[in-house]
Amino acid sequence: MTEDTRTLVLVIPHWPTIAAGVAYNCPAAVTHMNRVVDATPAAVEHGVVAGIRRREAQRLCPELEMIDHDEARDARKFHLIVAALESITPRVEVSTGGWCSFPTRGPSRYFGGDEALAQLVAERALDALCNTLGVAEVPRVIRPRVGVADSRFTACLAAFPKNLPLIQIVTPGTNSKFLAPFPVDALGRKESPLVDAGDLVDVFRRLGLRTLGDVASLPADHLLARFGSPGLLAHRLSLGIDSRISQTHLISDVVIEEGEIEPPTEGTETAVFLAKTLADAIHKRLSSEGLACARILIEVESEHGETSSRYWRNEHQFTPTAITDRVRWQLEGWCHPTSGPTGRLSLVRLVADEVVPDDGRQLGFWGGEAPSDERVVRSLARIQGMLGPDAVTVVEHREGRRLPDIEQRVSLTVTGFDPDRSVATPEAVAAPWPGRLPAPLPAVVFQQAQQLIVTDTDGQPVRVNGRGQIGGDPAHAQGELLGSHLIVGWGGPWFLDERWWDSARKNRQARFQLLLADGTAHLCVVQSEKWWLEASYE
Amino acid sequence: MTRSAFVVPSLSKVNQLVEPIVLARDRTFPVVDELSGLFADRGIRRGSTIGVAGNAAVSLAVALSVGISRSGGWVVAVGLPSVGSLAASELGAELSRWAFIDRPGNQAGDVVHALAASVDLVLVGPDIKLRTGHGRRIVARMRERGTSVIAVGNPRLFDSRADVSLRIKQTAWTGIGSGHGRLISRRVEIEATGRGANASPRQQLLWLPDRKGQLSVIDQSNGPRNSSRSTRAENKKVFSELALRAS
Repeated sequence: MTEDTRTLVLVIPHWPTIAAGVAYNCPAAVTHMNRVVDATPAAVEHGVVAGIRRREAQRLCPELEMIDHDEARDARKFHLIVAALESITPRVEVSTGGWCSFPTRGPSRYFGGDEALAQLVAERALDALCNTLGVAEVPRVIRPRVGVADSRFTACLAAFPKNLPLIQIVTPGTNSKFLAPFPVDALGRKESPLVDAGDLVDVFRRLGLRTLGDVASLPADHLLARFGSPGLLAHRLSLGIDSRISQTHLISDVVIEEGEIEPPTEGTETAVFLAKTLADAIHKRLSSEGLACARILIEVESEHGETSSRYWRNEHQFTPTAITDRVRWQLEGWCHPTSGPTGRLSLVRLVADEVVPDDGRQLGFWGGEAPSDERVVRSLARIQGMLGPDAVTVVEHREGRRLPDIEQRVSLTVTGFDPDRSVATPEAVAAPWPGRLPAPLPAVVFQQAQQLIVTDTDGQPVRVNGRGQIGGDPAHAQGELLGSHLIVGWGGPWFLDERWWDSARKNRQARFQLLLADGTAHLCVVQSEKWWLEASYE
Repeated sequence: MTRSAFVVPSLSKVNQLVEPIVLARDRTFPVVDELSGLFADRGIRRGSTIGVAGNAAVSLAVALSVGISRSGGWVVAVGLPSVGSLAASELGAELSRWAFIDRPGNQAGDVVHALAASVDLVLVGPDIKLRTGHGRRIVARMRERGTSVIAVGNPRLFDSRADVSLRIKQTAWTGIGSGHGRLISRRVEIEATGRGANASPRQQLLWLPDRKGQLSVIDQSNGPRNSSRSTRAENKKVFSELALRAS
């Protein structure tokens, strides 16, 4: 591995909410797996910060708008910002949406020093951001932040914290001095090359090592003896040295895999599918030498010779599926109807240009992550390749009163899918809530409620008034899915009056259980004088 | 050439000799005790096809999968977009081991084929159709890989008859009257017929679901359970909870 290179890191704070298209002055949060990933500045004022639970966030700020996290959306929109930097240097490396970096050596000399370069990058990014948002001015909290330092990790720490100036330049050679006052938690941030450092950071804290300076002051061999290679890496990071343990074995040639799309294709899916095989091939070649890829160059060509070429970096290492995702994001950003390529896509090339020793997870021998889980996720990914990314879903339970609110389906994200994730039990999501349905719950919940016509014995439609009085006894039900049946038993009405304070989202309904002559039982709701079939006790 | 011709038969012989003995119960997926009486092997044999039909088919299919997802196996539902996940959770299913493919469209055969190699149980919904001949290929692959499939309300899914067919003969809800009460539990009568070891018909009376949303065997000696005073007390509590204005 080469020596550390002086690096510039550009960060746009609150990118997930910006990419989701919400204005910074309305309270909104982007959530993933019931946790807040990011919140707008307006929501932060209420105390909603990344990492807290959905429910907690709603408690802090009841009018909070919730948006599902979508990494692809983040990366796709970020394309516009990165494109603005490409006139400064061609070597911009994108990590995720909202966060990219590049080595400063060449551009810094050309533009007259780190200071001038950082100014220029910040200005360009700010212009691009204003263009994306369609506004002339953005508040300081979401302005692009730039950090320049001798190592990537240091540059990230210079760019991310909000209490530092927008442009923070660490003088060469003073990395460790700059890092010393940072709390040791910085090692566990997502920008840190340490994998799953939560436990390590916890131990450091309990040992009384509160800042990175404390960690750096210890002898490296002691840390290595006690904590193994993560300990050594933590020490190097705290000193401001980024490169992982130097590599004795250098692979002889750069690993390139390319494939032509024959015949050229309009849609991105074929290209992504090809990229999957290429990524698998790269992974196989590297892993046979005990290596993994940390930075990858993805190039896609159209039949008219236009190319899209971008570096992607992962702080840890890329899996084949992660590479495939990057290809998809890059293509989605590039293949824009107006500014995209004029020809069809004809070639995909992947270049693994920075490799690191593979410290990948070992499959468990007794228990742990069984190889079959990986096989399952792989086959589900193949089906996603066939049917599209939204075709495979998994269940997520959220708090709420109405069944469609609680039972949510989210698309399976193959990267970072945790086979051991937990889905909340009915007691956990519906526990102390008044207005919840009692057990047993319906075994079939329709994704779209279906309209019903319910009449009484005289054939008149059954109405429920605002006081909860029912006009006549329901005697007959008719619906597209159900057919036409006599009602032999019914219970209700039970009222639900949600968010009556919010005119836009308020929801007032009466619930009924209907038992039909064919022996089937159904959960229906009456809303605005209409009957809807919401679920069936199938 | 001669050498490989000599080696191959002897290797396969060695393979036969060292192949571990597999007990019947290792070749089956676990099924909750309440339902195990319906199967000759007291569990779902790996690679078998099961048909479920009748009024409570979805609940029964979910109940059959509980043992598999609980023991770490994977369940994928193809063409069953409206399975109620909370109800499944009440029945005991481990939903982190579930995935859904709601609309496979005309690629249903390829989807089920791809799943047959990796997951343990595939639930197939009523609207899924396979091309003639495709079904037989899939069944063969499932036998080989040990993936079972439950066809929910879809008796014509494969070209051949299912290994075990479960039919719900009768269902009766308790607890609801006209204008009073609520659905509390459902009494179901299940009849199992099939091929081979499962050829002799078996029957089972169950609460599916019972008052907690779970599965339980009906104890016929004690008479009906749902007219007791405790039910009325419970109902009262539930109704007061329901009637509270949600705030």
